[in-house]
Amino acid sequence: MPFERQELNLPSGKLSYFVAGSGAPLLYLHPAGGFSVSKPLEALSERYKIFAPVTPGFDGTASHADVTSMEQLADLAARFAEHVIGKRCDVIGQSFGGWEALWLAVKHPGTIDHLVLEAPAGVPAGGKGGLPSDPAEARRKLFAYPDRAPPVTKPVEQLQGNRRMLDHYGAASLSDAVLPARVAAIAAPTLILMGTKDEIIPPETGRFLKEQIAGSHLAYVYDAAHVIQSDQPERYLRLVSAFLERGDAYIVNWGSSAASAIPGGTT
Amino acid sequence: MKFNFFHLMPWTDYPREPTEWPVSNKEFEPERGRQLYADYIDCMAYAEQCGFDGIGCNEHHFSPYGLMSNPNLIGAALVHRTKRVNLAMLGNLVPLLNPVRVAEEYSMLDVMSGGRVIAGMMRGIPHEYIAYNVPPSDSRERLREAVALILKAWTEPEPFGWEGQFYQFPSVSIWPRPYQKPHPRLLMSGTNEESVEFVAQHKAKLGIVLIADLALARANIDLYYKVARAHGWEPVPEDILIGHHTCIADSDEEAREHMRKALDYFHHILMRPQRSAQELVIKKTRYYQREGSSDKFQARLATLRARSLEEQIEAGSVYCGSPETVAAQMRRVHKALGHGTEQLTMKVGNMPDKVVRRGMELFRDRVQPALKDL
Repeated sequence: MPFERQELNLPSGKLSYFVAGSGAPLLYLHPAGGFSVSKPLEALSERYKIFAPVTPGFDGTASHADVTSMEQLADLAARFAEHVIGKRCDVIGQSFGGWEALWLAVKHPGTIDHLVLEAPAGVPAGGKGGLPSDPAEARRKLFAYPDRAPPVTKPVEQLQGNRRMLDHYGAASLSDAVLPARVAAIAAPTLILMGTKDEIIPPETGRFLKEQIAGSHLAYVYDAAHVIQSDQPERYLRLVSAFLERGDAYIVNWGSSAASAIPGGTT
Repeated sequence: MKFNFFHLMPWTDYPREPTEWPVSNKEFEPERGRQLYADYIDCMAYAEQCGFDGIGCNEHHFSPYGLMSNPNLIGAALVHRTKRVNLAMLGNLVPLLNPVRVAEEYSMLDVMSGGRVIAGMMRGIPHEYIAYNVPPSDSRERLREAVALILKAWTEPEPFGWEGQFYQFPSVSIWPRPYQKPHPRLLMSGTNEESVEFVAQHKAKLGIVLIADLALARANIDLYYKVARAHGWEPVPEDILIGHHTCIADSDEEAREHMRKALDYFHHILMRPQRSAQELVIKKTRYYQREGSSDKFQARLATLRARSLEEQIEAGSVYCGSPETVAAQMRRVHKALGHGTEQLTMKVGNMPDKVVRRGMELFRDRVQPALKDL
């Protein structure tokens, strides 16, 4: 289903957002590259009504004067959810958006039903990882399969502007001085997705969150780099759909779609 | 009466009550693990010298509950440490595994041991299905097909193909074939009507553990005989194996003190993390297909957990006391159930190994001789 661009006037400024699909509401918080439509998002829109606010300052939008940190960005997302969605919803946060989603879960737990964190930034990575400043090097680390990535349709100036906004939100280092000590308060059912080839957000991040968030689930998506939903759209969709549908019980094989682990066997 | 010595190979030092299953393995210490394996295998082999007729191994995954994720490896370690005892593999969780591999490994053990294998064909407890990502709703039918395939693999002299619902193998001819003719005796678990009927239909030995209610166990045994007869065979008492947590010490007081601590660790540390995962499987799938079976399963575990040691002894769930006390307890349960194989789990939770070994010797010297007439 196509994503339509809409606008919301908030006291802090205008907020652009994309919306698509029908069904239970799903808040999608985009990565540092800005908003773009992926195959899994399209597929999810067949069962969920997806709301994707554009972070102020990204993709050519204006920044909001009093929103200058990841924590304040999460407050803004909560205001957006309150005005536009109006009830508790599932949340997917991807990378930079995962960082925002973590703050949202910490500060506004009533907003979130299920939380999916796709290679989230903002928490300790054991000194590893990071986003290269060179665009070609960054792209090499973002995608294990560049040919599967969505075509680059945004102007170069817009992509450079997105990159500058990381500084605006104090996010250039991909780490948050305060957030790590707060994530243990997250009570929402949480799925943490990590790509096995991710060199930007390393496994240490996933382990840290799994350890800190009681009852959370950590899943590695094989043969995916940082943008999991691009490198492995089917695996991503299988995991996320199962988790959003069944919550903690997604770890039980219901025999409908998951392949058997048994050689010579079928489900 | 035949006696088996059963071992869960528990991790004995888990520092807190775990709430999540699978249990994080960062508390596992490799050197401690090496020592536990060495001690446990020594202890299991020692059972032969203490007069036991069999040694029981089993399979569990992803928690300190047991370090035996593949019981066949422990069976292999015991083959050359023992000469006489049965090696009761109780067993492989067949629906989770490749049935041809199960047929091959049981055959290897049977040949290596000169025909001492009892082949457990277990369905497993509900949460184990999460470990190997197998649909719990298919568990019964997977077990049925896998057992049929394993029996075929053991007995078919020519290479054969298998095109089943769950398993497809174009050509099978296992080497070695089993030592026993036509094959090792099967043993299956039967703790509810659904499973007891399944066991009897397969002419397998019946295993019942963690008894909460002697009358209920007796009803299952009666059903076993009834269904077996309907399928044209007559079980003997030895075909019925009843498992008990057991502590035998020099005095009743000493035994009860050890058992209380050990059961506390067993129920609150080792069993604790499985509860939430079991609920997920039981409530969200058709693991138990017959109405009421899932409620009974959870009620049985909750009952055992809530009872005092004295209540568990009275209910026939555990044996605990001096040799004379335990012999009397065993005699009472035998009178109620009429079984011919008693399986003792003496390493209960974190029971100290020296207490276990003392109990094994007291069993040999004063319990078994007192029960010669059974």
